Amino acid sequence: MKILVVDDFSTMRRIVKNLLRDLGFNNTHEADDGLTALPMLKTGNFDFLVTDWNMPGMQGIDLLKAVRADEKIKTLPVLMVTAESKREQIIEAAQAGVNGYIVKPFTAGTLSEKLNKIFERIES
Amino acid sequence: MKLSNDADIKQTITRVKDLLNHLENDQIEDAEKVLEDFSIKDNGDLFSEIGKLTRNLHEALSSFNLDSKITDIAASEIPSAKDRLNYVIERTEEAANQTMDMVENCSRMADTLSSDSQELLVEWQKLYKRELAAGEFRKLCKRIESHFKKSTKTSDDLHKALSDVLLAQSYQDLTGQAIKEVISLVHEVEESMVNIIKVFGDMDKYHEAKGKVVKRKEAEGPIVNKDKRDDVVNGQDEVDDLLSSLGF
Repeated sequence: MKILVVDDFSTMRRIVKNLLRDLGFNNTHEADDGLTALPMLKTGNFDFLVTDWNMPGMQGIDLLKAVRADEKIKTLPVLMVTAESKREQIIEAAQAGVNGYIVKPFTAGTLSEKLNKIFERIES
Repeated sequence: MKLSNDADIKQTITRVKDLLNHLENDQIEDAEKVLEDFSIKDNGDLFSEIGKLTRNLHEALSSFNLDSKITDIAASEIPSAKDRLNYVIERTEEAANQTMDMVENCSRMADTLSSDSQELLVEWQKLYKRELAAGEFRKLCKRIESHFKKSTKTSDDLHKALSDVLLAQSYQDLTGQAIKEVISLVHEVEESMVNIIKVFGDMDKYHEAKGKVVKRKEAEGPIVNKDKRDDVVNGQDEVDDLLSSLGF
């Protein structure tokens, strides 16, 4: 499974990549904001997107909306991992079609639980 | 001096204006002359009013001088605060990367140790089941010996890496000190701003605004005053509850 991890902080990208590797996902790639991520998603045959919300350039929520608006990649599962914790933001992400929402700081257990949930839902 | 007619009042206004002008322009002798003029006319009330005005003016000017330290703050302390905060970003990033380097090393060491032990265990069990040839037994003994040696070295390496992880946490002390400096600067700026509001602004509006919690529409990163906010979730459980209430 090919996964794109989008976060403006390299530390957080590294943490997420490490956790994903521990869960058995070795094919991970990185981008530091939505503007860099979107062209990669359009051409890179990614199976999964993990993205932050608050980033310079293009924010995670706009990346999510751009993905959902693109005929070719609109079914891509998107997991948001972010410090944004306003109720209206979570609702906005849900309405934009996010598949999972994790607030930072998070645990390895939470990441694994949300990933499994998303995969279960996709398979069923 | 009496203020019984328009002419008197106009004259007094002109004099008071003159007095203020002189005071503002540091023309003390001229100001004294105007005052003398007043005292000659011997009007106690007006004289005491002017006294009050003079005092107010003096206070206003001196508190404005007090806030000339704002110049220092803008010119040197704010830039140095920016340096301090950048220092915090750099040190925390460095510490995070050092820690992750070491943790990744430790994980690799632990993985190797575990897979070596598992392989040896398989061989060892063959010995119990008498499936091991004589020549193989000798090989097994050698491998066990080298495994013991390797384990000892790996344990030492793990120990060293873990104490490096421990040392990397010293960023907390260093960045804590830098942040404390910035907090005291912010406090100073706050005091100066309140002084300016006192002199030129509206203190009622200030007190009114004081209790307000700033809520921003856009993304704002981690919420640091969750106890004062009613529009944010507290932790993953509340996110999950909110999403499931939306039918997720």
